Amino acid sequence: MLALIKREIQDCIVYFIAAVVFSALLAIVLVEAVFNYDSRNPPVVAISLGVVLGIIVTLGLCGMGAGQMYLDKTRRISAFISTLPVSRSRILLARIVSGILAILILLVPLAITATLLLLVFTPPIPPIYAGIVLEISTAAFLLAFACYCIGLQTGWNSSALTPTLGALGLTCLFVPLVVVKGFGPEIVLILVLFIAASLFRTWHNFSSTSL
Amino acid sequence: MKSVMNHPIKVLATGFIVLVFLSLPLFWIRFICETSITTGMPDETQSIDRMQPCGIVPAELENDPNVAHHSSVSARLHTERLFLSLGIAHYLSATYPGAGRSNVHFLAGEEWMYFDQKSGQLVCNYLDTQIMPDKGARAKNVRVFIGPKGMSETPDKTLGRFTEIIIDGSWNLQNQRSSRELVTYDKRLRCFFRIDLIKRIVVKGPELPKDVPREPIQIGRLQKNDFSMYFDWWPPRTRVPGKNPGDDGLRGAYQPIIPTFYDGRAGPYVLVLDRTGRIDLLDRDTLEFVRIACWRLPAPETYFGTAPSMMPKDLLAYEVRPLTLSKFYLEDGRLLKMTFGEAYEPERAASRVDREYLGMFATSVSRDGTAMALAVFDAQGNQIKTEYTRLSQSRGYRRTDYLPSSKTAYWQARWAPVSTISKYLAENLHPPILSLASYFTASTFEAGSGHRALFLLPNSFVAMIARDSRGHVAEKLFSALWLIFPSILLAIWLACRVTKDAAIVGLSRKERRWWMLGTIAFGLAGYITYRLTRPKVTLVTCANCGHPRRPDMDKCHRCGSSWHIPELTPPAWRVLDGAGTD
Repeated sequence: MLALIKREIQDCIVYFIAAVVFSALLAIVLVEAVFNYDSRNPPVVAISLGVVLGIIVTLGLCGMGAGQMYLDKTRRISAFISTLPVSRSRILLARIVSGILAILILLVPLAITATLLLLVFTPPIPPIYAGIVLEISTAAFLLAFACYCIGLQTGWNSSALTPTLGALGLTCLFVPLVVVKGFGPEIVLILVLFIAASLFRTWHNFSSTSL
Repeated sequence: MKSVMNHPIKVLATGFIVLVFLSLPLFWIRFICETSITTGMPDETQSIDRMQPCGIVPAELENDPNVAHHSSVSARLHTERLFLSLGIAHYLSATYPGAGRSNVHFLAGEEWMYFDQKSGQLVCNYLDTQIMPDKGARAKNVRVFIGPKGMSETPDKTLGRFTEIIIDGSWNLQNQRSSRELVTYDKRLRCFFRIDLIKRIVVKGPELPKDVPREPIQIGRLQKNDFSMYFDWWPPRTRVPGKNPGDDGLRGAYQPIIPTFYDGRAGPYVLVLDRTGRIDLLDRDTLEFVRIACWRLPAPETYFGTAPSMMPKDLLAYEVRPLTLSKFYLEDGRLLKMTFGEAYEPERAASRVDREYLGMFATSVSRDGTAMALAVFDAQGNQIKTEYTRLSQSRGYRRTDYLPSSKTAYWQARWAPVSTISKYLAENLHPPILSLASYFTASTFEAGSGHRALFLLPNSFVAMIARDSRGHVAEKLFSALWLIFPSILLAIWLACRVTKDAAIVGLSRKERRWWMLGTIAFGLAGYITYRLTRPKVTLVTCANCGHPRRPDMDKCHRCGSSWHIPELTPPAWRVLDGAGTD
């Protein structure tokens, strides 16, 4: 299993490097916004930059999922690996684990930065903004993973146009869900159900396709 | 076998994904239409202008010969701020101190109070001004832990535990905090508490009888979503000598007849809002309800008429402001001065203060943000004045009638019919079963959540009919069905297409029935799900009936004939070695 995960990481090393870079960029934007915070003049530039980077990140994660599945479908990688003593479910699991790792590389440093900033810049009242970092991080992780799942579904296609346009369109449609629902328990429920449904569909398509 | 078992799960999974992807664009269409409807409302219908005189100011002040402008009250809808109901804005605003999701009840510099869920106690930090021996004042930081049985400067289990606590919302105001007295209510213990930070005591009021259906949800400052409206009250005003209205605007030219402060207090009482929309007065000393009368939040005129009463959760926004007259007396009994409300700084020269509750103003905004009501109640609980947002209809120079603002918003304003029809069409592309569910659950959801609803739509036309207090239940249900008739018609048409196609691709009768029911229930979402999950096999021509048939099935799904397999019978002739036979 570890060998499979390692192989997936090596195949998508560009995305992992991008995750590190974007994580650093987003952390800088966050620090910048907090340091220059003024309630009368909100940091519009930092917020806009953060939104743009967020959109690029979600599209990138969707692209990662789509790329993994598309390459597998066209180059028949899993068909080849299946000749070794490895099941298709394990190949897919290794792929999903690599996707989760990329998301964690992106979000964990950000969550740590946000926690430290809250500790430094908010009044020393124990429950002030309690759980806000956890709630936002959970929702952001699930949203990013859901976008990755959209990529996994659209990427399992022999044509190059469908994964690219399909993933792009569906992600653009999906990401504003966070604007509609915020970061509360409602969005968590919707995203968990969506991820479960997407993973089941991906697994079903992936495992039932003939070698 | 495993694949056959997994197929229904795959269909359900696909169906949910399709439903999410269909609901999102439909949400944005509805949101744009609703925003367009509210922002396009004529200016006249967005405000209740100058209810003058307001009716609860004592006659000696209102009718003073020096008064140039009588007291007035006005309210205005902030229709352009509907986007603040969206989930992300709602989430961020709700985590602020004092907001719904925060345990921090207020935060103002060095002064704060939060509810510690672990210990079940309130932790309050405030600045206490102490007079030093050299007669200089020094602010000391004091932190106290408050439980139902008392308070102390160190955490102590003997103080008891609060469970679900509501605190006086007006403590956010400095004037209120300066009194160092706070009223709270515990939902589980069902009683009020008065916390006196100066005397360091907690007084527990009598438990509310369990047979009395009282469920206080807010005390002190009664308001919700104040971003969506603006409310203002003006006392009677006199001319400022030597200033003309043109010099410095109206504010410079007129001054209140007596000093006016907003402190959120109702004199010797505290306002208590019940879950039902009832407003009671709680005596600060006895912590018991005053049995004068009860007040209610006014109900705005919605598209389908006015309901007799409205619950707070049925309103997008509301605000209640009490009005008090404070009379400060000198030691010899002479009146020193009178003020509306009370200043932050205590009146040191006064030896006695009488706080008289005069009444209250209550405004409320309808769920969809298209209508507002403003009511004035006197101290006895009589609703003496009520105004609604309306559009005046005139013939020539004569006003003939008034049209409720919600009707104006949906049909009269510029481009309103286009937005209304687009909203209606978007609602009809929603799954019929969810539209029906929206009808049956119309009043269960909080008004603000309707503006961020994806699946059940409490702000849809169907839900509006369900909330209409007029008419018979059956009549309303029929109206709702008539309203979603295009949606039902579309679903039936799509179900026919699905059934026909399912027969062609060879689905069993049971499967076809399920697909038909699913498509009727979920409409467009059901149809797209079918298209994504239908068997993808290339059909071949049946040798018996000539129709297309599935190559992966033993029998033709149309005529039931098996595959025509020519029997491999050995030929009667043999090729033999001629030399051998001879």
